Amino acid sequence: MSKPHDKPDDTRRAFLVGAAVVATGAGLATEARAQDHTPHMAAPAAAQPMGPTEGHGAFFNDDDAATMAAFTERLWPAAPGKPGATEAGVLNYIDLALAGAYADQQDFYRRGLTQLDAYCKSAHGKPFAALDAAMQDDVIRALEQGKATGFVWPTAQAFFNTVRTHTMEGMFADPVYGGNRDFAGWRQVSFPGAQPVFTAADMQSREAFTRAPIVGLQSRADNTRRG
Amino acid sequence: MAIAKTDVVIVGVGAAGGILAAELAKSGMKVIGLERGPRLKTADFEPHDELRYFQRQDLRPDPKRQPVTWRPNDKATAHPLASLNYGNQAGGGTVHYGTLSWRMHEDDFRVRSKTVERYGASAIPQDSSLTDWPVSYAEIEPFYDKAEYELGVSGKAGNLQGRKIDGGNVFEAARSREYPLPPLLMDQSGTLFDEATRKLGLHPFSSPRAIVSTTYNGRPGCTYCGFCQAFGCHVGAKSSILVTKLPEADATGNFTLVTGAMVHRVNTDTSGKVTGVSYYGPGGNDETIEAELVILTTFIYDNVRLLMLSKSDKHPNGLANSSGELGRHLMAHMMPNVFVTFDDRYVNNFMGPSAQKHTIDDFNADNFDHGGLGFIRGAQISIGTPNLEGGPIAASTVAPPPGVPRWGAGYRDFFSHFYARHGAMVGQTENLPYPDQMIDLDPHVRDAWSLPAPRLTYDFRRPNEMKRIEFVQAKMEEIGRAMGSPHVWRTPLPPGIPGAHHEGGTRMGGDPKTSVVNRYGQSWDNPNLFVIGSSTFPTMGAGFNPTLTIQALAYLSADAIVNRYKKSPGALL
Repeated sequence: MSKPHDKPDDTRRAFLVGAAVVATGAGLATEARAQDHTPHMAAPAAAQPMGPTEGHGAFFNDDDAATMAAFTERLWPAAPGKPGATEAGVLNYIDLALAGAYADQQDFYRRGLTQLDAYCKSAHGKPFAALDAAMQDDVIRALEQGKATGFVWPTAQAFFNTVRTHTMEGMFADPVYGGNRDFAGWRQVSFPGAQPVFTAADMQSREAFTRAPIVGLQSRADNTRRG
Repeated sequence: MAIAKTDVVIVGVGAAGGILAAELAKSGMKVIGLERGPRLKTADFEPHDELRYFQRQDLRPDPKRQPVTWRPNDKATAHPLASLNYGNQAGGGTVHYGTLSWRMHEDDFRVRSKTVERYGASAIPQDSSLTDWPVSYAEIEPFYDKAEYELGVSGKAGNLQGRKIDGGNVFEAARSREYPLPPLLMDQSGTLFDEATRKLGLHPFSSPRAIVSTTYNGRPGCTYCGFCQAFGCHVGAKSSILVTKLPEADATGNFTLVTGAMVHRVNTDTSGKVTGVSYYGPGGNDETIEAELVILTTFIYDNVRLLMLSKSDKHPNGLANSSGELGRHLMAHMMPNVFVTFDDRYVNNFMGPSAQKHTIDDFNADNFDHGGLGFIRGAQISIGTPNLEGGPIAASTVAPPPGVPRWGAGYRDFFSHFYARHGAMVGQTENLPYPDQMIDLDPHVRDAWSLPAPRLTYDFRRPNEMKRIEFVQAKMEEIGRAMGSPHVWRTPLPPGIPGAHHEGGTRMGGDPKTSVVNRYGQSWDNPNLFVIGSSTFPTMGAGFNPTLTIQALAYLSADAIVNRYKKSPGALL
């Protein structure tokens, strides 16, 4: 196939990032909805971007947090109008998960991160977090393809696959789990959350679904706060 | 250790057990149902949460507490499966299932005879144990009908008493009456699939689903929220056992449900007669129930494991296993996918009931000529959602098309374009029975109760299946192009592991020497022991989800127990 990811609507999206602030709280939703792009799919300007390693402390130490922040940002990097893993709080999601539901994977991560830095130092002379983005991408590619040396357990591929899976969870799980901050992941892919009802007309529409609000587990509180 | 006495004990109160509990209790029998998990309510299923229910599989067994191991052949070492796709609470799999409710075709019940008749015996792979069922479509039709009406299934007839009806499934066997509820509304991906397949001369229709499309028996109609497969229904529109048969059983006053009960043994006396069951309660307490009749209606792994664990001097190879067939002929559907995306429109397929929304039956079973194709049987081809669930976490597991990376800016741009603009086809295709695909007890891995884990020895990668998968994927690609998609791609199948809808292990048949149970699910060896569920299926029937057939068999068995066995306990044949 040719280019599945052409994005013809970046300009309009950039405009709506500004428009959304007004539309969500000030009764202009109808007008905004008349646009073919949804106000709630654009990130609210009220959201403060997170610092690169902000949002840890339940499990990761500072060094591991820096590595994970860099790693997950390369897996889902930011672009204008498209928050990356850092801004979405993916580090915070994984940190909380490893202290809770995924506590049985703590050793997997500790050993995986140790092996990762050992590989980076031997192949590139620096730990992962100190490499530039292009070099980090090379390292991740070596993990994905199983070519990174020195990995015993977890294997390089198993470590990559798990970090990728958890990064996607952090982008797209409900914000109550600590990621997908301000629905950053859902807005980017045009998912309106756990809507309780869709109509026959909704299901036949060729447009993005625009009816506010995005429904999360604590969406009422969230939307009030943002308003 | 307390000993309770009852007429009937039912182990596992899911798709089959719930029906038997209600029907036997209504006839006046005292019934105790034992369920490993909790009993949840409709209110427990709101709000929907993809991480909890799809990704972390909250309504399914925890593979750490209840491991199931798999190996591709008997030379390999078995390892625990990462996820388990069956129920773990009252209502069983009907709580989280995608609700597809199929009747098997008429000839699916005599698949060996019909295959030999049309293609000759050499068309059947030599290592396959393909066989006819000991029950015919005509015998089971009234029970299919009863299941559709009592539970609530939405759909459109395609063959009403022999009259073919466009818009329904024209390949279905004759039904005595129309579905009780009109078809569920179509989403845009269903419309695209419908138009494309019609253009190709095929026969699309709305998949029959156990979701009420309008108010039915006091339950509200579907709200099309999209959280079906992997989720409980937040309005009770899904016709799960929780909202259909359990309230009926409760109303009789003859039914007691015990939750948190892990049954570890079917007890027999010194003569070999079945006397009841023993289970570990929620606190680890070991309890025994004495019963005149024991009915096993757990998922296939546990039906098999429990019989193996219940061996005794009189039953040295496991209970109900004088044939030596216990655990054999394990089957599962393979689920090859083809994806499409559009550049000029959104599809929003997270809307509407997830799983298999719109279907063609043209390439299923023996609905097409297999002459020269090199394989037998077929697939149900449907449009739906990735992993049968519509949220973005599920979609993020889809392999992107060739040339698109799985991470980084390229993936981000692909996925943010793809997610709300794609369609997902699945060709759910039949696994022939093979005696060496089997379930036994793992010698090394034990569960949280210290019982040996079920071990699966299974590999679908056989010539007949691989040729069919290739055929099905090519058909889906053709449909994808006819849908007008500029991007059509197939994704790789996982290696060997059993996919969806596990069947077999306590095979039903007409001969005690070659089967575990008779047509009623009654053990040939122990007339007061029944095993009912997809573990009794001698073949997969077709590329059809098994639940409605499980439920029809449960009604058929309940009818035989109430009207015949109760009056004169003993062998029903």
